[in-house]
Formats: sequence, C-alpha cells, structure tokens
Amino acid sequence: MANENKKKKSSTIVHPRVGCAIGAAYTVAAIPGGVPIANCGPGCVDKQYFGLSFNNGYQGSGIAGGGDMPSVNFGENEVVFGGTKKLDDLIQSSLKIVKGDLFVVLTGCSGELIGDNVGAVVKKYQDQGYNVVYADTAGFKGNNLKGHEIVVEAIIDQFVGEYKGRKRKKLINLWFEVPYFNTNWRGDYIELKRILEGAGFEVNVLFGPQSKGISEWKNIPKAAFNLVVSPWVGLKTAKYLEKKYNQPYLHIPVIPVGEEATSAFIRKVVEFAGIDNTKAEAFIAQEAHEYYYFLEHFSDFFAEYWFGLPSRFATVGDSAYNLALTKFLADQIGLQPVKQIITDEPPEKYRDAIADEYHNLSEGVDVDVEFIEDGYLAEQSLRQADFGGSVPLILGSTWEGDVAREIKGLLLEVGTPVSEELVINRSYIGYHGALTLLERIYTATVDGK
Amino acid sequence: MPKEIRQIAIYGKGGIGKSTTTQNLTAGLVERGKKVMVVGCDPKADSTRLLLGGLAQKTVLDTLREAGEDIDLDDILKEGFKGTRCVESGGPEPGVGCAGRGIITSIGLLERLGAYTDDLDYVFYDVLGDVVCGGFAMPIREGKAKEIYIVASGEMMALYAANNISKGIARYAKQGGVRLGGIICNSRNVDREIDLVRAFAEELGTQLIHFVPRDNEVQRAEIRKKTVIEHKPECNQADEYRELARKIEENKKFVIPKPLTQERLEEILLEYGLLDALEDNYSI
Repeated sequence: MANENKKKKSSTIVHPRVGCAIGAAYTVAAIPGGVPIANCGPGCVDKQYFGLSFNNGYQGSGIAGGGDMPSVNFGENEVVFGGTKKLDDLIQSSLKIVKGDLFVVLTGCSGELIGDNVGAVVKKYQDQGYNVVYADTAGFKGNNLKGHEIVVEAIIDQFVGEYKGRKRKKLINLWFEVPYFNTNWRGDYIELKRILEGAGFEVNVLFGPQSKGISEWKNIPKAAFNLVVSPWVGLKTAKYLEKKYNQPYLHIPVIPVGEEATSAFIRKVVEFAGIDNTKAEAFIAQEAHEYYYFLEHFSDFFAEYWFGLPSRFATVGDSAYNLALTKFLADQIGLQPVKQIITDEPPEKYRDAIADEYHNLSEGVDVDVEFIEDGYLAEQSLRQADFGGSVPLILGSTWEGDVAREIKGLLLEVGTPVSEELVINRSYIGYHGALTLLERIYTATVDGK
Repeated sequence: MPKEIRQIAIYGKGGIGKSTTTQNLTAGLVERGKKVMVVGCDPKADSTRLLLGGLAQKTVLDTLREAGEDIDLDDILKEGFKGTRCVESGGPEPGVGCAGRGIITSIGLLERLGAYTDDLDYVFYDVLGDVVCGGFAMPIREGKAKEIYIVASGEMMALYAANNISKGIARYAKQGGVRLGGIICNSRNVDREIDLVRAFAEELGTQLIHFVPRDNEVQRAEIRKKTVIEHKPECNQADEYRELARKIEENKKFVIPKPLTQERLEEILLEYGLLDALEDNYSI
C-alpha cells in the first residue's frame, strides 16, 4: 500500500521541489495572450518565477511573467482595510497597458485570509465584456499543481462558459504536463501534439508555442473528449468537464516514452475515440521505422561499451515524469529501478493507483514507490538505495546533486528545480524524446567528468 | 527601579458593558490620582466616548489610512476627563479587511510613537466581544497586558462567553505572564445573580471582584457623554465605581483560569436556577 511508503513528515521541509498554489501564475503565462495579475504580497510570485522558471531550466517567462507581471503588492494597509480597491486600480491599468487576451487574477494568502471579495471586483470587468477571470490560489491551499487545476477550472468556468452545440469527433482537449513546472513541458507538448495529429486527431493543446490561445480555450467544449496524460494532475479538470459539457475522458497515467509505449498509446486513444485507424497505423509504422533505425545504431554502443554503464537507477521527482521515465528505462532499456521517490504530494486518493503502476513496470520488474515531499528525507532515502557495483544513475533535480557526488553517481536533472541545465525545446517523451533521453543519459556516462 | 505600568485588558461578551465599566473605572482611578491611558480595541471606536465627551477622536487606523506612516502621537492620542489619555484603534469598514490585524497594527504603532510613557500608572485595553482570533488576543500577548478582567452578568450567554475567553487567557498564560484578576459583574438584575457569578468565578479559580448594581444613573450619564463619576459624583453608582477602582488597585489575586467544561457550566447554571424546568416556574 502506498500509505506504508509515506515517510513521517516534520512540520517543515527543505529543498522544495514544488511551488505554492500561486505558482499557477505560470499556467496563465503559458497560454498565448494570457496575463496573470498577482493579487498577493510582493515577492510571492517572484519566488515562483525563480522556482518554476528561472532555476528550472532558465525557461524565461514570455510577455507577462517574471518581472513583467502586474502585481498588487499587498501590504499591511491592504490586510487591514482590504485590498480590493488597489486590485481594482491594478486591473484597470493592466487592461490599458498590457497587451493580452485573457487576464487572470490570482489571489494569494493575504487576500484569501482576510476574505477579500475578489469575485465582485472582477465581475465588474466581466460584465463590461473584458476577459478577466479570478482564481483563489492561496499558498495554504497546496502546491502549484493544485493551483494549476484551480486556475484551469476558473478559466473554464468564468471565460469558456456554457456550450450546448455539437462536438467534433476528432478534436481532443489535452491535459498533460504542468507548464513551467515540468521543465521539458514545451518540447513534450510539441511531441505529443505531433503524435496525436499524426494519428489523425486535432488537439487543443491550450499551452505553449503551438496553442492558438484563447480561441482554442473557447473550443474546449467542442472536443469529443478529454485526454489526461498524467498520473493525477488534470483528472479533476477532466471530471469537471465531464459534468459541465458532458464530455467523456480517457485517463492514461503513464506518459508514453519510446516506440512501444507511444504506439500503444496511440492505439488506445484511437480505440477510445472510435475513429478509423488507417492514418494512425501508417503513422506508427513510419515512426517505428525511424525509431528503430536510431536504436539499432545506438545498440552498437550499448552492447559494446563496457566502461561505467549504469545498470540500476533511481528517480526523484514529480509523479508524471517519475513514472514515465521509470517505466521506459525499466521496460525498454532493461535498467533496474532501485529507488523511486515521488515529491509532488499527490492527493491521498490517487496514491494507491500510482503505486500500482510501479508494480507493473515490466515483466518481473516491481518497485515500491515512496511519497516524500521533504527534500531532507528524500535525499536520506536516496542515499540508502542499493546501486550494486554499477555506476548509480539518478534522474532527479538539482537538489540530488549532493547525494550524486557522495555516491559518485550520474545525475540527470529532469525536474524542478533544474539549475544546471538550460532547456529550450527539449523533450524526453514520445518517439523523438526517448532518443534524446538516451542521448543525455549515455552522454553522461561517456563524458568522463 | 522605574515602576511598572499596570496594563489591563477588559474582555467580555458584546454589549455586556465593557466600555462603560472601563471608563467609569478609569474615572475612579483618576480620582485617586492615577495616570491612565485607555486604548479602545474595537472597530466601532466607542471605548473613550464618555471620557472625551463624545466621539471626538480620530482612530489610529483612520489616521494611518489617510496620512500613511507619517503620524505624530498627537494625531491619535487625545486627553479626556482629568488628563486621561484616550486612543481608539478603530478598524476597517464592516465586512472588509481584517480588524484583528488592525489591532496588531495600531498597538504596534502606539509603541513606536512612544505612547507608553513612564508616568502612566495604568493602561486599559477595551477589547471587543471575544478572543475570536490572534488579533483580538494582541493586548494579552507577551509584553502587553498582564492582568485581565472579564465583565459578565448572571445571564447564560455572558457566562458562556466569559468561560470561552478564559480558554484564550489560559492559552496565553502558559506562554507568558498574563493572569486573570477577576470577574466584574455588571448586573442585569437576574435572580440570584451575585451567587451565580460568584460561584462561576470560584469555579474558574478566580474571584468576583465587584458586583456593580444596575442603576439608571449610568444611562443618564451616557446620554450626556460622561462617566457617572463626572456626571453625578455624589450618587451611589459613582461610589460603586470608586469601590471597583479601589479593589482593582489593591487586587493581589491573579490566576491562570481553569475553564469549565460545557457540562459543568450548565450544571452551575442549573444549580442557581437559570436553567429551571418550566414546571418550577408554576410552583412560584
């Protein structure tokens, strides 16, 4: 049972691997034309920027993130007398100054604690036809992944609105990695969109360079179904949409990495959608051909290179990448998972299902996943992993650097925070991303540093 | 060694007469030659009306809102009856902001502006209703009021509130020096009131420090925006407040209250006839 794997928590944590709920400002910033308005104390959102974007692959922030985000800078006056007046002024100015299509007010701890009626302020603008939405994202509500779901739901509720028309059979809403938080999100969205389009679908990706911004969000109700490709983030959204627009959803907890998983993924989605599979099969054939062309050449190295190749590995990070990469390396590359630690605090109700996935990684490969939020405990647990005689391979965050050095292991930074790599459009998923991941892992083994 | 200012917080159920009692008590202490400051900790800002002869005072928070941080003590502190210093913390408009934080902010400002001068003998904090959150407990935190008096009556809800406030005091007493000095009964003319409140006080481990009888002189003085002592110094009620002032001046009994369980509180009420069954009323 997952609960047995949960370490006893102290009241504080070190080496955080998540942001707080208001980090969902970057969910908004990831929508082309999206402008977050921070209704919180000075520093709250700046900290999120450093945690989720800057020290996380140096991802940048687009038109209205980072230092360009409008902020109320909630101070003592706002706490005592209420902050709605200042917020009202800020929304007005932001609408004038910032060129955006959708403004989302994110209220942090102070405003929520004193019970500011932010909805009433925002409604005034909504009634005038402005695209302004508000979301209650106090940090005490949880981490940025919960914030992400809160913001998505707020946009659907207050901006996308009601829809009773027809659905488009091949149109899918994709609920996938959390923008910025999943360091490779942009590259991964591009790859997954490419895959789904290759199989014959149209995709509302909603975030990132290939999203059409708010017009795409308005199209959410027209989709035939919602596709959740994640262990837990996005499920709440899909269930909400199921009720709101009578849209079914398909939940695929393991992000596909490599040919086998990706081809199986495509077939599952095609089957669920009930569309003709001719295009999908042709696409799979072509992709598989290319994939194995490269893998064949890689296998020369893999079979012949004898020096310092890892045989056991650990993963420390959010559930989405942790599960996806563990599955790929265990099932396709034949590495043995010896320590898998999930750090994104999935809600209790999802934990057993997530833990079950780790019992079903590949034939005869089974590992007990641990859920640990605190960096100290996570690192302590990682130290105890038995890597045998081979070079320890760790897929984790920058925080795993100390342990990796101690045990003379190879560290690949794959999740928040990533401060020793720069990420532009890298992907580790699907057909293309799997090859990149192999490149990265085995470059680390041969570079001799 | 400089003398220590006796800082006293007055709590009690809303409408029980905390402000009236505090101001009349202050008048009694001033008559005894004491230097007193009264800090109203209620957003309604009506804690110093009788000492100042009306709501003449701009509150700390209103001043802060309008003038910003650049405030002089004179802007927020007014002198009332016989040199009593009066401050009203004030608060946000009803329904917005955080009144509790407002109290923290204004007490902090008073300290920064140097309102607590060595010539003071007493500082009274007149706090609204109940210890609803950390803000309303501000006056009894470390370094502020060390004495508390709860104003109550023989009415059931007043005793419920007093018991609840005692829980707050007990919590803060563990961390610091705050102690309960007694219960002041502001009579509502309930049957066997004095016995009930005395029994309740003893059960809490404290004392009924004074029983202030009900007297319309209080209302008459209030209409004239005065304390009873100022309005009609020779009347009986004025002497009652003088007596309360004397007892507080001489009080040595300070305790950590032992709040009653709900069951025990109801038992006491039953014992003193407040929860009498209906048929008992017929037997009279």
